[in-house]
Amino acid sequence: MTTQPGQNDFAAALIDRALPVPDGVTSWTQPLPARRFGVYRNNVSGALVEALAVRYPVVKRLVGEEFFRAMARDYALHNLPRSPVLIYYGADFPDFIAGFEPAGALPYLADVARLDSAHWESYHAKDAIAVPQGAFASLAPATLANVAFEFLPSVRILSSPHPIVAIWRTNTEDAAVQPVDLTLAEDALVARPEMAVEVRTLPAGAAVFLSALRDGRPLGEAAATALQTAANFNLSQNLAGLIAARITARIIP
Amino acid sequence: MITVATIPARTGIGLKPQHYQEILRDRPGFGFFEVHAENYMGAGGPPHHYLEAVRKDYPLSLHGVALSIGGESPLNRDHLARLKALLERYDCGLFSEHLAWSTHEDAYLDDLLPVPYTGKTLQRVCDHVNETQDFLGRQMLLENPSTYVQFEESTMTEIDFISQIATRTGCGLLLDVNNVFVTCKNHNMDPNAYIDAFPVEHVGEIHLAGHDERRDDTGAPLLIDAHGSPVVNRVWKLYERAISRVGPVPTLIERDANVPPLADLLAEAARADRVLDAERQRRNSHAVAAE
Amino acid sequence: MTKTTNMISALALASALGAALATAPLAFGAEMEKCYGVALKGQNDCKAGEGTSCAGTSTIDYQGNAWKLVPTGSCVSMDTPLGKGSLEPIERPA
Repeated sequence: MTTQPGQNDFAAALIDRALPVPDGVTSWTQPLPARRFGVYRNNVSGALVEALAVRYPVVKRLVGEEFFRAMARDYALHNLPRSPVLIYYGADFPDFIAGFEPAGALPYLADVARLDSAHWESYHAKDAIAVPQGAFASLAPATLANVAFEFLPSVRILSSPHPIVAIWRTNTEDAAVQPVDLTLAEDALVARPEMAVEVRTLPAGAAVFLSALRDGRPLGEAAATALQTAANFNLSQNLAGLIAARITARIIP
Repeated sequence: MITVATIPARTGIGLKPQHYQEILRDRPGFGFFEVHAENYMGAGGPPHHYLEAVRKDYPLSLHGVALSIGGESPLNRDHLARLKALLERYDCGLFSEHLAWSTHEDAYLDDLLPVPYTGKTLQRVCDHVNETQDFLGRQMLLENPSTYVQFEESTMTEIDFISQIATRTGCGLLLDVNNVFVTCKNHNMDPNAYIDAFPVEHVGEIHLAGHDERRDDTGAPLLIDAHGSPVVNRVWKLYERAISRVGPVPTLIERDANVPPLADLLAEAARADRVLDAERQRRNSHAVAAE
Repeated sequence: MTKTTNMISALALASALGAALATAPLAFGAEMEKCYGVALKGQNDCKAGEGTSCAGTSTIDYQGNAWKLVPTGSCVSMDTPLGKGSLEPIERPA
């Protein structure tokens, strides 16, 4: 009588390497062939690690190939994808990194991962056209405080106590890695007005200001909230930034 | 847009992001492009931008890698809807998927996992192929797998199993010649005999790729379907044998790892085109001789 | 806190917008990605053998206290173990 391993047993043994090769799995050279079954185990973990490496290239570079593989595999085998579309896989990997003890020596790592992830999401976000800059000039001064904005789907706003943009940028774009002052704090704006993803640092209060606008709150309220958070919030500088960054899909008067 | 969606009986290559710009600049002449459907299931951005531009000049074949047709779990209807949307948006000439499973319950295992060949699994795969074809409103091609293990419970050969699927569901077959080589070597079977017994009347496309060579615990060869190197000579020979039975059909050069310069893939494509041309000539001269 | 104090006057807003429209467009850190990341790699492949193939029998233990690895190239400061400028930019096909 032959054994019939269900896909339950097969899947469980793929994930938990302590489990034996499932009964009923065989080959012409031997029953329960460990190395042959190991190909599937390795394919599953290797492919998921690779998917995370594509989404988190700066994290991988900061910790090195070997460390990244080990960390990503630990995450992957405990957090299997729930969708077959891997573009959406690993969105909570930064939270995992934040709690991952062996990476504790790099306190900025989780926030750099959030920037990697924001870049990836922005890259794949739904396309939309930014309103022309002239649309801001025609807004009526009297009702300006009540104007709200809808941002492009590619807009991501991040706030960090670490210099995440400087770290990310020098590890992405510079031929020679530049020194970074780790005492700086940086907020970031990520957006894709056309096909290229743009990453910018934000001035004081801007992350609060833009987040309030993104959440649909009117301009007057968003500016007041930002002022309460950062005394040196500069409204005209932030409006200029908002206009120049081309992140507005719709102005709601 | 090329509105005739059929894929010509020529050679195509897998479309890789590394080659987007060179392709759009040089517009090299060859049969078609194929893409992995799941890589174009994001909402927008450069992948769709480039695929649209490429599609204006080339026919497109859509190759799914994650539908889990061999799975015990029900097919993912959301995924079927995403496939249908892509097929319509890009007016794809072919749609293919694998005789394998990759999703169990709600976890996606991201590999092409093997299916035992029994009456029960045959029924399940046929149900899933029927459901897919009904949902998409078109014929699909099913690809023979590369496998590394076998199952004690199997009662049919792979060829019997695949033939029955094609006969019962009316689906076409994607004959992956490298998978034939890998699977036969891994299970001590003769690849030539496999090609000679394959139900060629259902074949709508052929895949060619490279593989890695390892050893199992006993030291026996264990070939891995790695798609990271050129097609080897023994697989080319097997391809010629397959084409002489199948006739000229669309043929794809697959490369998913260690992606080389575009010119290298085009050179492999040209080699496959020569095989297709030779077969056309052979068939023509036979037809003339018969008159 | 009343609504009035929580709001910015219409006049202040209008003058800030006027100033913004007259400003050179460098208000947010304006360097931006131009050459990189235009065509990122897709994630779903049908290849096999990622990493060390047939590694099913390898016994590397990454769990808990057995963790022996440390992050290597924290290329963020002058004293990075790999030294300043020792790495090439991340490879992303343009």
